[in-house]
Amino acid sequence: MSTAKNNNLLALTVAAALTCGAIQAQSTRPTAFTNARIHTVSGKTIERGTLVVRSGKIEAVGKDAVVPAGAKVIDATGKTIMPGLVSAWSRAGLRAPTSRGNTPTRGGRRGRPSRFRPRSSGRTSNSAATKVIDGIYIRQPIFGKLLEVGVTSLALNPQGGGFPGLGAVLNPAGKTREALTLNDEAFVQVGMQRNSGAKKLLKDTFAKAKKAVEEREKPPEPPKKPEAKKPEAKKPEAKPAAKPGEKPAKPAGKDAPKQDPKKPAPKKEAPKKPAAKPAAKPKPKKPKDPNVEVLADLLQGKRRAIVEINSAADLLHWRTAVSDDMKFPRMVAVTRHDTTSGTLDKVVDHLKKWECSVLLPPLLSTQPRTSHLIHPAKKLHDAGIEVGFAVGESPGQVRAIFFSLMELVRSGLPADVALKAITQVPAKALGIDKRTGTIEVGKHADLLVFDGDPLSPTGTLEQVWLRGSRVEKDGAAN
Amino acid sequence: MRISTLFVLSVALLSAVDLPGQGRGRRGRRSTGAPPPPPPAAEAKKEETKKEPAKYTAIVGGDVYVGTGQRLTGATVLIADDKIEKVGHNLKLPEGTKVIDAKGKTVSPGFVIVQGAGMGAGFSGPYKDTVNPFAPDIKQGLAAGITSFMVGSTSSRGRLGGSNAVIKLAYGDVEGMVLKENPVVGISVPLDRSAKESLTSAVKAAKEYLAAMDAYPAKKAKDPKAKAPKKPRSADQIINVLQGKTKLWVALGGGGFNPFRAMMGGSANASDVGSIREALEIAKLFGKGVVIQKPTSAWLIADEIAATGSSVIVSPRTRTPADPKNPDRTGSNLASAAILAKVGVPVAVTPPPGRFGGGGVGTGGILGQDLNTPNVDAAYAVRGGLDNRKAIRTLTLDAANMMGVGDRVGSLEAGKDADILILDGDPLHYSTFVTTAVVNGKVVYEKGKEALYRHISRTNH
Repeated sequence: MSTAKNNNLLALTVAAALTCGAIQAQSTRPTAFTNARIHTVSGKTIERGTLVVRSGKIEAVGKDAVVPAGAKVIDATGKTIMPGLVSAWSRAGLRAPTSRGNTPTRGGRRGRPSRFRPRSSGRTSNSAATKVIDGIYIRQPIFGKLLEVGVTSLALNPQGGGFPGLGAVLNPAGKTREALTLNDEAFVQVGMQRNSGAKKLLKDTFAKAKKAVEEREKPPEPPKKPEAKKPEAKKPEAKPAAKPGEKPAKPAGKDAPKQDPKKPAPKKEAPKKPAAKPAAKPKPKKPKDPNVEVLADLLQGKRRAIVEINSAADLLHWRTAVSDDMKFPRMVAVTRHDTTSGTLDKVVDHLKKWECSVLLPPLLSTQPRTSHLIHPAKKLHDAGIEVGFAVGESPGQVRAIFFSLMELVRSGLPADVALKAITQVPAKALGIDKRTGTIEVGKHADLLVFDGDPLSPTGTLEQVWLRGSRVEKDGAAN
Repeated sequence: MRISTLFVLSVALLSAVDLPGQGRGRRGRRSTGAPPPPPPAAEAKKEETKKEPAKYTAIVGGDVYVGTGQRLTGATVLIADDKIEKVGHNLKLPEGTKVIDAKGKTVSPGFVIVQGAGMGAGFSGPYKDTVNPFAPDIKQGLAAGITSFMVGSTSSRGRLGGSNAVIKLAYGDVEGMVLKENPVVGISVPLDRSAKESLTSAVKAAKEYLAAMDAYPAKKAKDPKAKAPKKPRSADQIINVLQGKTKLWVALGGGGFNPFRAMMGGSANASDVGSIREALEIAKLFGKGVVIQKPTSAWLIADEIAATGSSVIVSPRTRTPADPKNPDRTGSNLASAAILAKVGVPVAVTPPPGRFGGGGVGTGGILGQDLNTPNVDAAYAVRGGLDNRKAIRTLTLDAANMMGVGDRVGSLEAGKDADILILDGDPLHYSTFVTTAVVNGKVVYEKGKEALYRHISRTNH
C-alpha cells in the first residue's frame, strides 16, 4: 500500500538524515541541562529547570525532572534554553553559490554576490507539482552557516507568482541531497499578484482543482467519502495530521522527480485502485494534470500551503478571484510591509475568516507618508491571529532577528508570542510541529542555549543543538 | 453573488416591505423585472438572513446642495446601505439609523473629476484587477472632496480609442472602487482626410445597421426567412456611442503632448475655433453631443456648441496666451465657463496642466499640482461669472454626465450611490474643508482622524 511505502521511504529519509549529520558518533548516553531557564514555547517558562536529552530526543523537561544515571550533566546556571529557529521563508540554496575569488560572478561585480535571480520566471503559471528541491544547489556553506546561528529547521520556498511549485523542508546539517531533504513536498507555494493575468490564473486553477476534487469524491464507494471529507471539515481549527507518514493521497514518493507531466498521473492511479475497490476499474480517460492534482490534494486538506500575499490590497484582490469558501490549510506570508497598499492588519477580519497564521517580517512599519510607527504583528496578535516571523535567509539576518524581536516586544508584543513566532508557528506551517518547534517530551532536541535572555541585548547565543548533538562552528552537528 | 443579491432584493420588493422611494437605483430597478431564477435560492436564503435588514445612515440638519442646482436648508439625507434612500425635510428615520449630525455644515455630492491619476487607480486596464484600495493618495483625494474620477487615456489619433475607467475612492473596498470600465472613447482632431472618410463611412454603416436592427422584428414577423442584419466589422465602439452606452470625447490639437510647449507654461491645450468646429462636425456626424476637451476659444462659438448638445471641459485657472496672428485662437478666458453655461452648454472643470503637461487631479507631480483642490478650480469659474449654485455642477452632475455615470453619481437623489461630503462651509470656498466623506454609504474620511488637515481649524467663514 502506498501509505506503508511512504512510511518506509520517510523513515529511510529520516534515518539518512540522522546518520549523515555526523550524529552516528552519538552514544545513548543522555545529556542533561540543569538549572536552566527553559522557554518551552508550548507551555510556561521553567525557571531553574532540568532538560534531559537522549538519542536526539527530549526525554524529560521540568523543574524536578530526574537526571538519569550516567548522564552527561551540563550546568546551565544563568543560561536560557529555547527551541531552535524554524525558518518558513527561505530561498537559501536556490541560488548558485557565489564565489568570492577573482572570477567575476554573472551580473555582479568582482568579488560581490551578484543580484541576478536565476530561476524567477517573472510570468505566473501553474507548476504546482514541480519540486523546488530539484533546483537546489547542494554543496554550499549556507546551510551550515544558518545552522550555526540557530536555524535548525529550514523551508525552501519556490520563487515566483501563481503556483511555482512544492516547497521543501530541509535539514540544515545535510551534506547530500538525501540528507538535506526532510520532506520534498512539504507545502504548496502560492503567490498572489495584483494583475489580471495572475488573478485569472488563480481563479481558473482553483476552479479546475475544485472540479478535480468533485471528481475524486464521486466515483469511489461511500465509505471513502466521509473519510476524505472529514479532515477538510476539521482542518480550520486544527491543522491536519502533520506527520508526513500520514499523507495517504500523496502522489508517489520522492523517487519520482516530476519532469514529465504525464508520468506521475498513472502512478498515482496505481496505488489508489487497490485501496478503493479491486473490482472497479475507474480508468482515466486522459492523463490527469499533476499540477491540478496537487491543488486538489490541497483543497481536500491533504496538503498545506504557504501563500505569499504582500499587502492588504492584494488580499482583497485574492478574495475577488478566489472565494473565501475555498478553505485549505495555509499560512499567509508577507515578505515586506507594504504601506502604500496596506499592511495586513487592515484586513484582520478577512484573515480571521481564513483561520490561518501569518508570517511577517520582524519589523514595525510606518503609516503611509508619515513617521508614525505601526505594529502590524501586535495588531494581528491582538485580533487573535497566529503570528510568525520570517527569521531571514542569510546568517546576518538571522543573527539580527533577536534584536528585531526586542524592538517588537518593547513596542507591546508579548515576549512569549515573539518566541513562538520564530519556532512553533512556522513549524506548524511547515507541518513539522509534531517533531520540533517546542521543548516537549518526545520532540527532537533542537535547542538554542543562550547566555542570558535571548530577548535581552546582553544575551548571546552560545550553543546550537540539532537533534541532541551540539553544532560545531563548521556547521556540522557533533 | 450578484444574482443572489438581486433575488434578495426582489423578494424584499415583492413581499411589499415598506421600502420608501420607488426609484431605488440600479439594484432596485433591475429587480422589479423577471422573477428570480430558482437555482441560487438556497444560497440566497443564507444571504437573506445576513443581508436583509438594510443599514441606514442619516446625515441630519445640514444645508444640502442637491447637486442639480437646488439647495435645501436643514435637510436630511437618508442612506440605505450604499444608496441614497431619500433627501428632504423632516424625514422619518427607520429604527436603528446611524445619525451623523451636520448642523451648521454643508452637505454636497462628492466631487466627480473628469481627469485624474493615482489615488489607488492602476496604470492600465482592466482597472478592476489592479486598483489599490489602501493607497495613501485616496485619503488625500477624499480630503479634497473627490469621490470619483476618471483615469486613463481619453484620446486617440485617427480613430476611436482610449482605455479608461471611472474610479471611486472607496477606501478599503476593491469591488466598490471601479464604477465603470471604459465609459468613454476618445478621438483627436484634426483628422486627416483618409481618417475622416473612413470614420464617416463607418458611422454611416453603423447607423444603417442599427436602423436595420430596429426594423428587423417587424420584418421577421412578416417574412420568417428574413436574415438578421450583419454587424459591420469592428464597429462596436461606434455603435456604443450611437446607442449612448459610451461617451465620445474629442481632444483638440492632435492630442499629442508637446513637452516644449508644456515647459513654456503649459499651453498644450490651446485651441482655435477651427478645431472646435471640427469637433462639432464629429458631433453632427454621430448625431450625438460630444465632450470637447479644453477648447480655450470655445466661448467665441458657445451657441454653435450648444446647438450640437455637446459639453465642454475647461480649466478656468489656466492661462493660455492668445495667438496674435490668429483671431480664432483667443487663449484662455476666465469667463469661458460662465459664457458657455449661459447658453446651456454643460461645463466640467479640471485643474490646469502643470509644468510637465498632464492636467487633472493627482498627487504624482510636484508642488502646486499636488494641492488637489478641485473646488478652487470651480471657484475660478465663479469668479468668471458663473452662478455659484450652478458652479457646483461642474464638479458633480455635469461632470458625471460627461462620463456617462450621471445615473449613479453626481447628485443627492434617491437611488443614487451614497457618495456624500460634509463640509465646514460653502463647497467652493477656498478655506472650506471636507470634514466627513462618505463613499458607497461608508464613512471613508474624517478630518479629525487623518493626519492630513486635522491640525487646521477653520476660523474665517
